[in-house]
Amino acid sequence: MMRTGMILGLALVAAPLDAQQTIAERLTGRVPAEIAALVQELGSAAAGRGLPVDPMIQKAIEGNAKAIPADRVASAIRGVFAQLDSAAAALRDAGVASPVDTVEIAAGGFAITAGLRGRDIAELARTGRPTSDVIVGLRVAGTLAAMGVPREETVRLVGTSLRAQHAPGELLALPGRVQSEMARGATPAQAAAGLARAAAAQSRHGPPPDRGRPPHPPAPPHP
Amino acid sequence: MTQHEFHPRVKQLLDGELTLADLPAELRAEGEEALRLLAAVDRSSVSVPAVTWRVMAAIERRRRRPALWWLAPAVAAAAAVVLLLGKPSTPPATVSATVVTVRFVLVAPGARQVSVAGTFNRWDPSATPLVRSGTADTWVATLALPPGEHQYAFVVDGARWVPDPAAPAVDDGFGRRNSVLTL
Amino acid sequence: MRAVLAGDRDRYAVLVERYRDRYARYAARMLGSIDAAEDAVQDAFVRAYDQLAQCHDPDKFVGWFFLILRNRCFAEQRKYRSQVSLDAAAAVPTSDRSDDGTETAERRRALQRALMGLTAEQREVFVLKHVEGLSYIEIADRLNTSVPSLKMRMHRAYDRLREQLREHA
Repeated sequence: MMRTGMILGLALVAAPLDAQQTIAERLTGRVPAEIAALVQELGSAAAGRGLPVDPMIQKAIEGNAKAIPADRVASAIRGVFAQLDSAAAALRDAGVASPVDTVEIAAGGFAITAGLRGRDIAELARTGRPTSDVIVGLRVAGTLAAMGVPREETVRLVGTSLRAQHAPGELLALPGRVQSEMARGATPAQAAAGLARAAAAQSRHGPPPDRGRPPHPPAPPHP
Repeated sequence: MTQHEFHPRVKQLLDGELTLADLPAELRAEGEEALRLLAAVDRSSVSVPAVTWRVMAAIERRRRRPALWWLAPAVAAAAAVVLLLGKPSTPPATVSATVVTVRFVLVAPGARQVSVAGTFNRWDPSATPLVRSGTADTWVATLALPPGEHQYAFVVDGARWVPDPAAPAVDDGFGRRNSVLTL
Repeated sequence: MRAVLAGDRDRYAVLVERYRDRYARYAARMLGSIDAAEDAVQDAFVRAYDQLAQCHDPDKFVGWFFLILRNRCFAEQRKYRSQVSLDAAAAVPTSDRSDDGTETAERRRALQRALMGLTAEQREVFVLKHVEGLSYIEIADRLNTSVPSLKMRMHRAYDRLREQLREHA
């Protein structure tokens, strides 16, 4: 837990250091003036609502690097703002204490980018786990959705794992395990369902491999 | 024959020894009923990943050591089976206390230059060039990245943005896809 | 010595990875529940490891392992027979919900319920032929029985299934 706290502490520290630079500093010379102005405007609105600004700055820089026309970049940035707003609303609905952590909102925004809905974010936040765990859970859920795991199975797998109090390292390992099952021919949904069952069984029976089952009947005669 | 029994020829249909066209007209409806029954068979595969580590954990506790020398030829054909047992597999990474070392690999036949650009290097195509490794078509780069959610894509010959074929992908908001790396 | 043993266990783990899902499907259709199938397959692999010295030919591992799993499934059914028929309706394994229309999924569930109404021997021949896709000859070889006796068993299974499906339609 100490190590996890240190790792996440670094992640949380990284954001405020960037945010201390003004938006203008980060965008000058990198994006057209109209885009910088849009990000400034949305940035003020975001700050007023407790939303993180960094994802919008990132989107503006990305659009410029990819030589995307300014109007498309503008609508993409507005899209990021809307996603962050939805994520924040979902987290508040789930009862997350105000002010909601901006890193958690950004993680929720990513999950929405990957195809999850506000109520999926809320369901994962309602597992009642500490913010640091929910952040990892939201990122992992977004990654699973990006791999093609349907929303229902994604929320079931991550929700079950969170409720089973899996460590962040175990949560982060879920996409790789799903991918391994897919390499063996399972669909993303089947792979996720199999892992969710395993996590639920672990909750029922305690940590592996001692499951507390009654002893088996003696082996039948060897054929 | 009771009312529930299929006609013997319909049973041959079920066994796959006849087709529907082989049945006389008066048995067609029954034949179709039989085929609907077969269509309802669930052949979907089942995934039980937990079995592997539970079996191996149970075996760890075993006292007896059977001779397994003959297993070698049997598994030789199993080639690239990855034993996950809880470790992430793609991309290959090692975890230290504060950063994660990530190896980016792209097979790009005919490419003259390849780089990776993403949220970790301000999407700058010139910031992180890949180098050829091993075969002429394989390009690699190794980066130390902080934990978190990163998006990226490869840039081939300075202009072509290519998502990582081996990674999960999300909409980039510009009509293309970004690859996702969650550490 | 320890290094060799560790390598042996790694090789066994590869075998487990390779075959476990295939056998889990057979066990799931036989037992009517994926959870029960997981238990059965896990136990069978552990038992097979213990008895590996008795399997002399690596090419025969698959068939030999199947019989261990089969015994385990049949034992499970004898022990928990009434529970299984009750659970079948609730815990029936279905394919991806996202792929199916609800009508297809309901028909699949109905058939699995009907399968649980057969004897274990009838259900097995149906599963091996129509789920696992084996021929009568392959099944006869695996179960060490004759094709005519398998067909008789299967044809009774067809009639029973029709009866069950009509009664619960």
